[in-house]
Amino acid sequence: MTLKKTGLIKRIPVWMAFPSILMFSLFVIMPAVMSIYFSLTSWDGLSPHMQFIGLRNYMDLIHDERFWNAFRNTIFLAVALAILENIVALTLALILDKVLKARTLFRSIFYLPNLLSGIVTGYIWVALMNYSFGIFNVVLNHLKIASINWLGNPGIALWSIIFVMVWKGAGYYMIIYIAGLNSIPSDILEAADIDGVSPIRKFFSITVPMLAGSFTINLTLSLINGLKVFDQIVAMTSGGPGFATETLTYQIYTVAFSEGKQGYGTAIALILFLLTMVFSLVETKLIRRFEVEV
Amino acid sequence: MHNSKKWKTGDYILFFIVAILALAFFFPMLFSILSAFKTNGEILKNPIGLPKRINFSNFFYLWNKTSIPRATVNSFILTTVSCFFIILVVPMSSYVIERRSGKFSSFFYPLFLAGMMIPFQAYMIPLFRELRVIGLFGTMLAPVIIYISGASSFGTLLYCSFIRSVPKEIEESAAIDGSSPFKTFWKIVFPLLKPCTASMLILQGVGIWNDFLMPMMVMPANQPKTINVEIFSFIGEFQVRYDVLFCGTLVAIVPVIIIFIFLQKYFINGIMAGAVKS
Repeated sequence: MTLKKTGLIKRIPVWMAFPSILMFSLFVIMPAVMSIYFSLTSWDGLSPHMQFIGLRNYMDLIHDERFWNAFRNTIFLAVALAILENIVALTLALILDKVLKARTLFRSIFYLPNLLSGIVTGYIWVALMNYSFGIFNVVLNHLKIASINWLGNPGIALWSIIFVMVWKGAGYYMIIYIAGLNSIPSDILEAADIDGVSPIRKFFSITVPMLAGSFTINLTLSLINGLKVFDQIVAMTSGGPGFATETLTYQIYTVAFSEGKQGYGTAIALILFLLTMVFSLVETKLIRRFEVEV
Repeated sequence: MHNSKKWKTGDYILFFIVAILALAFFFPMLFSILSAFKTNGEILKNPIGLPKRINFSNFFYLWNKTSIPRATVNSFILTTVSCFFIILVVPMSSYVIERRSGKFSSFFYPLFLAGMMIPFQAYMIPLFRELRVIGLFGTMLAPVIIYISGASSFGTLLYCSFIRSVPKEIEESAAIDGSSPFKTFWKIVFPLLKPCTASMLILQGVGIWNDFLMPMMVMPANQPKTINVEIFSFIGEFQVRYDVLFCGTLVAIVPVIIIFIFLQKYFINGIMAGAVKS
C-alpha cells in the first residue's frame, strides 16, 4: 500500500510547475545572475555593446563619497526604523491587549496607514510637513515657536522620513505582536498573579521571553524593509536636501536612469543585495543567541 | 467576557490614551480625505478645518482634465489580470514541489526561498534590458509578467505550507477513481486552499495596486500609467494644486480601504502567514 501511495504522488506531472518556474527563472533568477556581469561593464543603458571593465566600478565605489553617504544613510534609516517601529508596535500591542472595548476598531486604525502606497503616504506628509501651511508648523507657531523646515533641513529630513515610515509601518508589526501575545497561555499569567508576581516582573520574565519568535520576525522584516525604502523618498525629498536623504535604492535609480551609468548602478545594486543578506544573517544569529540566553 | 467586567479608573484612562493615539494615527488620512473636498485656498489657509461646503469641483477637474481616470482603469486591469494569472500558475507549482519529494523539489524549494531575498532594485537593470531584447519593454504585458514572476517565490512557499496540511488520502482516493492529478488538484485540493488564496490575493493585489517604480519604468511611454505613477507626475504639473492632488490620492486609497473593510480577517491572516513564511 505504501508503495502504491508514493506511486500516486509521483504521478503528479512536473509540467504543472513549469509556468511558474519558467517565469521565475527568466525574470528573477536570470536578471539577478546577469547583474553580476552588468556590474563589470561601463554600460550606459543605450549603446548596443557593453564594455567590459573588470572591477573598475567597484574600485570607483570605494572612492565615491556620494556612495558612502548613501550607504550610511541606508544603514542608519534601516536600523533607526527597525528600532522605532518595533518600540511603537510593541507598545500599541501591549496597550490594545489591556483595552476592554473596541479593540478591533483600534487595531484597524493603527493598521490602516499600511494600506497606503508609498507615493500617497509621501504626499500626504509633504503637505502636513509643509513649511508654511503644514500642521506641524501651524501648531508650533501657535505655541510661539519658530517654524521648522522638516523636509528641507539636512539635519532633520532623514528623521522626518523615519517618522513617516514608523507611522506607516508600525501597525503591521503590531499585528504580529498581538498574535504573539495571544499565544501566551493564560494559565501561566494567572499562576503568576496568584503567586503575587509584580506586573513588571511578569512582563520581563513571562511576556518578553514568550514573544521571542515575534521579535525575530519583526526585527528581520523591519530591517530588510528599511533597506528597501524608496517610494517615500521619491515623493518627499528626492534624496535631498543635497544628498541628505539619498539611500542606496534612490541612488541606484538616479545613477542608472538619470545619469545613464547602468553598469555602475548595478554595482551599487549588488552591494544593496549583499547588505540585505548580511543584515538578515547577522540579525538571525544575534536573536538566536538572545533566545538561548532567555 | 472582558466586557462583563466592571471598568476601573485605570481602564478608563487606558481607553482614553488609546483613543487619542488612534485619532493621531488617523489624522493624516482624515486630512487627505477632507482636503479632497476643499479648494486649494482653503487647504493653504485652514489646513485642519472642515471644508466650508462640500466641493466636488476637484473631482470634475480630475475626471476631465487629468490622466487619472485612464490610470485608474489601468491599475484595475493590471491588478486583476496579474492576480488571476498568479492564482492560475503559483498554486500548481507549489502542488508539484510539495507533493513530489525528490530532486525536483529539493532543487527548486531553496531557489524560491533565495528569490524572496532579492530586492527588486538589485536586478531591475538587467531585467529591463532583457525585456527590451525580447520586445516586451513598454507594453502592458511587461508589468503583468514581472508580477507573476515576483509572486512565484513568495507564493510558492506560502501555498506549500498550506498544501502540507491537506490530507493525502483524499487525493489518493480521487486517483483510484481515475481522476488525473491535474483535475484532482483543481477540483479537490485547490478549493481546500481558499484561505491561502484569499490571503495571497489580498497581499498581491494591494502590493500591485500600490506599486510605483516598476510600472513607471516599464509601461508604455507617453500614456497614462497606473494611478500611483500619475499621482507622482502630478507634482511636476500641478505644483501648488493640493486640492487636485488629494483628490487623486483619495481615488487611490478608496478601493483598498473598501476591500480592507470587507475582508479584514484575510488581511490579518495574510500578515501572519506572510510573516511566518519569511
